[in-house]
Amino acid sequence: MWMNSGSSGTEMKLCLELIILLPLLGAIANLLLGGRLLPRRAGEVLACVAIWGSFVATLAAATAYSAPVTVEIASWLAVFDFKAPLSLYLDPLSLSLCLMITFVCGLIHIYAVEYMKDDPSYVRFFALLNLFVAAMLTLVLAENLPLLYLGWEGVGFCSYALIGFWYKDPKNATAGRKAFIVTRIGDIGLGIAIVWLFQLCGTVSILQINRMGTLLPMSVITALGLLMLLAAMGKSAQVPLMVWLPDAMAGPTPVSAQIHAATMVTAGVYLLMRMFPLIGASATVTAAIAVTGALTAFYGASCALAQRDLKRILAFSTISQIGYMMLGVGAGGITAATFHLLEHAFFKALLFLGAGCVITAMHHEQDIFRMGGLRRRLPATFWPFLGGALCLAGVPLTGGFFSKDGILGAVWLKGGALYSGLYVVGLITAFITAVYTTRMLLIVFEGEETDHCRGGSCARPDEEGHPQGAPLPRVMTITLIPLALLAIFGGLLNLPDYLGGGLLNTFLSHPGSQEQQLTHSSELLLQGLAAVVALGGMGAGWLRYGGLRRQLRLAEAQLPARGLTAFLMEGWRVDALYGLLFVRPYVRLSDFLWQKLDEGCIDDSLDRMAHLLGRCGQWLGGWGQGRVSLSLISMAAGAALLIGWFAWSLL
Amino acid sequence: MIVPLEHIIALAAILFSLGLVCTLVWRSNVIMLLIGIEIMLNAAMLVFVGGSSKWGMPDGQVFALMIMAMTSAEVSLALALVVYLHRRRNTVDVDEFRELRD
Repeated sequence: MWMNSGSSGTEMKLCLELIILLPLLGAIANLLLGGRLLPRRAGEVLACVAIWGSFVATLAAATAYSAPVTVEIASWLAVFDFKAPLSLYLDPLSLSLCLMITFVCGLIHIYAVEYMKDDPSYVRFFALLNLFVAAMLTLVLAENLPLLYLGWEGVGFCSYALIGFWYKDPKNATAGRKAFIVTRIGDIGLGIAIVWLFQLCGTVSILQINRMGTLLPMSVITALGLLMLLAAMGKSAQVPLMVWLPDAMAGPTPVSAQIHAATMVTAGVYLLMRMFPLIGASATVTAAIAVTGALTAFYGASCALAQRDLKRILAFSTISQIGYMMLGVGAGGITAATFHLLEHAFFKALLFLGAGCVITAMHHEQDIFRMGGLRRRLPATFWPFLGGALCLAGVPLTGGFFSKDGILGAVWLKGGALYSGLYVVGLITAFITAVYTTRMLLIVFEGEETDHCRGGSCARPDEEGHPQGAPLPRVMTITLIPLALLAIFGGLLNLPDYLGGGLLNTFLSHPGSQEQQLTHSSELLLQGLAAVVALGGMGAGWLRYGGLRRQLRLAEAQLPARGLTAFLMEGWRVDALYGLLFVRPYVRLSDFLWQKLDEGCIDDSLDRMAHLLGRCGQWLGGWGQGRVSLSLISMAAGAALLIGWFAWSLL
Repeated sequence: MIVPLEHIIALAAILFSLGLVCTLVWRSNVIMLLIGIEIMLNAAMLVFVGGSSKWGMPDGQVFALMIMAMTSAEVSLALALVVYLHRRRNTVDVDEFRELRD
């Protein structure tokens, strides 16, 4: 790719360097200076300033942007003909993602300052949070695959460390390890794909590899595509590697918002989008991506229907929404998938931060059946949360509606038996999404205040004024507002064609791409259908959980879950299945190797050998007197005899 | 060669017998026993070096170096054992240590 000549080129280079360097420096500074040399407030400000500085740099890059640029910052790996320099690539896709990441993460950082204000290990927290943003931006901006892999593993590590942030509870540490191990399975796929691509193409530059796609045999492209799909499955929590995401809610809520909703989990989708010019050529790969996405969307939505834990509901909905994005990628609708990715980042961050407010106000109670009446208690949380929920449910004219519809439209456009079936699955999932969103809203915010809530004096400033009883910090609710605005009016970013066409659409589509467009009438028809489905889902949710029936459901929730509810609540019992298939045999094997092979066989045989030698020594010792001096004299005498005999025979 | 081989061998023989006598006679102290062994080893080394110098072969000197390395390891181990034995039995008399028999 070519670079703008002259001053604008160097300016762009500086901007791109700053985007990644600022969060990285923030992390390093916080690690080195935080705690001892810097007061707490300074460390927090440093963390926030680093991210917002990165946002400003991204804005500057966006204003200076005119065409895709590649910027080589430094050389990194160079062995013989293998070269992977630190080079960054800015195109519409990475630019829009960077804007979203820095903005959303900036808001989450500010929120986190208040959320973590009583936590003693804030240095570790903010350093990891900053490091995470730096790794994510590296991933997005990377021009070659090893650099992308660096960012990929960086976010994986930060995610592991932040899920297990409160590691003193073994449950949290286990959740962190689970996330690490499960995503590692996917990373194997990416690692193999990178090495293989280098072996085939002789380069690791993403741009060059994408251009070489036509030279490779189709079977190889299919295999590469499936390997990358495996990587995306791990990172983006797709069936069958989705088990880590619900458990990842063990981390602090800002972490859930930042990593497990807005940014990191979309990395898998981003990888597939990035490599789409290569892997999109294989119909098998696109079909596999689409099927994985649709299956995951349905899986996540159905599980979210039965959860009791507020954060787990949101986690399953994240799985489901990322499934939609994969479906969009599989249908070739890169623009639609990107649009949904951005839109989802806004409303899911909003929902998680709102959930964090609710959980703080409820003194870390996460069971939705113990909440209630929060609409009147926490109006500043309720209204933004409502906006996010409407987006999630896909209510017409919100951003979520347009983005989800874009994906469904792309699937419809693809046609054929498979994609028509996937379209139906997508519609059913949209219906379920609307139902569980309504359920969550009605149970958490409607009805009477529960005893738990009243006794805890949530958000009542007039009671005694001890720290727990204090109202929610204003900052926490204020950060919700820009996210809510973006979520609801995000549709303006990419209006359908009949309303004048989308900004994002023209921005993201480059001359070479041939994404087809729906005709206006069929697009209107599809949107009408989606609107009916979403509203129908909300209606169904209201019928089951609205008004007086809410009490009925609360009473039902007191009983232990059975049948289908329990099945859905445990995530289709996939955890149990994996435990049976993989974990238990592995533990058995380890036990066998440890107790039977290592202790029983190796250690025992060595012990026995030592024992035998000891016995031999005892037996030999019985012959002598046991006096060292006597032995020495006999030895000397024996030696003298031998030498004398030799000398005599020589003579 | 200035010094004839016979002289070297004679010196080595004297050294060796001194070491042997020391080892056999001085029973009341394990350390003297160790010193005796060292002297005998040195006598052997002397013969190696003398032979190597006489026939112009480097093997003997290499052997001498090997013996030095081996001896240093042996002495450090043996002294540690002596310290341990002294702590345990509060004596360094060679004939007191006769567990192998009992």
